[in-house]
Amino acid sequence: MANSIERCLESVLTAPLHCGQILVQETTTGHFVLSHRDDKPVDQLKVFRRAEDASNIAKYDDAGNYRPLKTAPNLRPGWRLELDTLEDLRRALDYFYPGRLAIFAAWKSGRLQTTVLRETLDRQSGMYRVAAKISDSQIDDLVADFCRSNGGCLRTILWKRDARATLTSTKLPDEKFDPNVDQAASGSPSAPTASTTSAATIPLLCQEACNLLIAECRKVVKGESALDL
Amino acid sequence: MEGKPDGALLIVAHGSTVNPDSSAPTLAHAAEIRRRKIFADVGCAFWKEEPSLRDALFLFDAESIREVYVVPNFISEGYFTQTVVPRELELNGRITERSTGQIWKYCEPVGNHPMMTELLLKRARDVASDIDPAEATLLIVAHGTDLNENSAVAAKREAEKIRALRKYATVLNVYMEEPPLVSDWRKLTKTRNIIVVPFFISDGLHSYEDIPVMLGIAEERRLSSRRPAEDGRLESRPSDVFRSNPYKLDDRSLFYAPSIGTDPGFADIIIEQALNAKS
Repeated sequence: MANSIERCLESVLTAPLHCGQILVQETTTGHFVLSHRDDKPVDQLKVFRRAEDASNIAKYDDAGNYRPLKTAPNLRPGWRLELDTLEDLRRALDYFYPGRLAIFAAWKSGRLQTTVLRETLDRQSGMYRVAAKISDSQIDDLVADFCRSNGGCLRTILWKRDARATLTSTKLPDEKFDPNVDQAASGSPSAPTASTTSAATIPLLCQEACNLLIAECRKVVKGESALDL
Repeated sequence: MEGKPDGALLIVAHGSTVNPDSSAPTLAHAAEIRRRKIFADVGCAFWKEEPSLRDALFLFDAESIREVYVVPNFISEGYFTQTVVPRELELNGRITERSTGQIWKYCEPVGNHPMMTELLLKRARDVASDIDPAEATLLIVAHGTDLNENSAVAAKREAEKIRALRKYATVLNVYMEEPPLVSDWRKLTKTRNIIVVPFFISDGLHSYEDIPVMLGIAEERRLSSRRPAEDGRLESRPSDVFRSNPYKLDDRSLFYAPSIGTDPGFADIIIEQALNAKS
């Protein structure tokens, strides 16, 4: 029996489907083919056939570096993943973008709750407790750089800076906060505006600041950030 | 085995932003448990990787999943199992009822399970299958001096249990950062054969490089977080250090095993911890 996440995935499955940097196409026989959106059909693509293969594809970027943030816009091209079932598709997308399908399903059903950045920061303990000392203006700059779709992260930010519902960064375009905008298209240098293709899109929604951003907040407070804030 | 048709398993682990192999065992155990179809759903969540512990709050739909079994893939109780995981998952104790009526059961970490002892023995047998234990020393390596962690205590408990079985000539705990040190193994042991098992949840800098250097079976180098070399290239993989057994050092033979958490038997322990959850 398909669970609620698979049912949600099925409801948006039109050919083609975009999810981050991935293109999903359903074959006439009801199977699924996944590839990198930048790859052309004529490209020589290495073929994989297990959902688990997605984990290895997503682990390193094209230069061979480990990808600690799977929603960073550096998924390597050159592969084609052929899957038999909706369950396989769900699992593969979950390896490419861990947790994002479940967050999307929760958002679609009205169950998703967001957490403001200040609350996330104030909750920290141990070595990350100091991160809460970051100033509002430092957050403005840090989020603008760390979370930007062109080079940072392809998620759509749903959380606010504080309980007054302040926008988390005034330096990011409005599209960064809009689940209807395809961040992989809007962040691409070759396509600076929102996607105009007819493909359906599963947005990579961000309901709460990730630990990588919290770690960056800590670095800013301790003066260790590489960013010129 | 009893199935949980309306129950989900959530394996929580540390993960890493620099070590590509940190989450690999947890993901592999989850895939194996998923294959056995005991639970309606099986997910993972990490402190340092995705999905995050906070994401995990939304992984299981209350409509179809009535119970979520949270099993920490940690070697011992400590700061993460007692502070970070409950806080991030909004757990009130061993049993938490969500506003949806979904019940979350917080289970014991894998390292606490009695089957750990058998798994350590199996790993030692696997790495030195032709060696008579009665003529060998078993070294269980832990970090030592961990802030708020009890991994050294857990390692000591396991060594005591194996020692009581009287299978090995000697069973010793050694540590990376406190005496008795790994690097003193020559002075600490008298047998010709030495079997070394790292008591860690995953392979990484400690098992690939730090411990081999302390044992004298590898030279210090900068461990890369880059993709391992493809077949046919000269560059070595970090895991090659486990494939050169036995290491001949003077008149001794040293057998070096991968971290205990990479053993496929961990999947059985994770299931056991979930099924042992308090109701």
